[in-house]
Amino acid sequence: MAQIEKIRQVKLVGQKIRQLRKEHKLTQVELSQRLGIQQSDLSRMEKGEYRVSLDTLFRILAEFQMSIGEFFGEMAEESVQPREIQLVQKFNALSEDAQREVEDFIAFKQALDRDRHNGDGSDES
Amino acid sequence: MHGEGLRSIFDEFREQGVQAIEAGRIEEAATFFDRALAWAREQGDGRQIDLAVCNRAAAAIDLGRGEGELPRLREILMRNGDPVNCRVAAYNIARHYELAKSYKKALFYARIARERSEALGRRDWLASSYNLIGNTLLAESFVEQASEEYEQALALMPEEPSLALAGILDNLGYCRILQGRRREGYTLLYRSLHLMRRLGNEQHEATVRLDLCFAHLETGRNRSARHQGMRALEIAEKLGNTHQIKNALYLVGEVESLEGNVVAARAHFTRLQREFFPEASYLPGFLLAVDVRNLVNLHA
Repeated sequence: MAQIEKIRQVKLVGQKIRQLRKEHKLTQVELSQRLGIQQSDLSRMEKGEYRVSLDTLFRILAEFQMSIGEFFGEMAEESVQPREIQLVQKFNALSEDAQREVEDFIAFKQALDRDRHNGDGSDES
Repeated sequence: MHGEGLRSIFDEFREQGVQAIEAGRIEEAATFFDRALAWAREQGDGRQIDLAVCNRAAAAIDLGRGEGELPRLREILMRNGDPVNCRVAAYNIARHYELAKSYKKALFYARIARERSEALGRRDWLASSYNLIGNTLLAESFVEQASEEYEQALALMPEEPSLALAGILDNLGYCRILQGRRREGYTLLYRSLHLMRRLGNEQHEATVRLDLCFAHLETGRNRSARHQGMRALEIAEKLGNTHQIKNALYLVGEVESLEGNVVAARAHFTRLQREFFPEASYLPGFLLAVDVRNLVNLHA
């Protein structure tokens, strides 16, 4: 099965945090205080040297009230095909029920694919 | 009753408490340490009272109720009386700050614990101090420095099965995966898992399984990653460990996402968002689009 190409560029994420911080006219000290982390840690995060807990990661996103489009817009454009972006935009415009139906249909098509290939690997213990 | 007899009853309560800790039955351990404390107070033995206070504090800290224990622990440390009690107090304070995610304070006290352990010539205590120092460094993403501490801890650790040994193996294994030394990482993590299961400590077993899930994800073995992640999730749900549930939901969501199972991935990410980050409605979509493995520290 084809794997989804996902964005995975730590340094770019760090740079994006720095850029957004500056756009919001926040110093490292101010932002780190808001996030409840040390200024030195934020500095390392911006350099792509610092991994954080899920809690901290989501606090950062919340701090800038980021959506995928805002935060990863540029990176997404680089790594996702235009057709895929359009599909996601159309999907996001659907109601929650309609989105679920689309997901069900995808699951159905995946099951068909799996049946066609009749299993592909060994079992795990 | 003679002193020897008194000491053995005290030690018996403590021993039972330690065994309960090893098996992850922390509430039960706290009860034994309470009994040891009550006994020591009855006998009026100051050294034993301090030791029992430290042991009870260790259980309280693991149960997330450590804040109230800090003044007594600091007092024992500052009084600088019995070296054993000083070491245990310093270690427990460090452990409290580690769990409270105040890593710099944790590092400060962990280093005191290490010095005291060295002075006492206790290899096992020295090992657990190195391990704790490693934890505080790893939590702050100093992976190389943390692994050096874990290596020292492992070298000092007796071979017989113990929770401490299993913990060090897990920590070093996770570091090795982050360092790209994957074969070594797997060996350490599976040794740790084997030990945790043998000791019957499910809480820590879940931690190791999460690390294994991450390791398998890093090597593209998604089926194995799913197995470890789902098992960790089951245990974490059973024990009500929210930190582990969060990490498990994220990891199994990531597995499904990378496998192209969008429906399953969205279901896990949505649950993660609804249960733990209700304000962040963008989260499922964000996690479907962005692979945050390189950003996330499971040991922070």
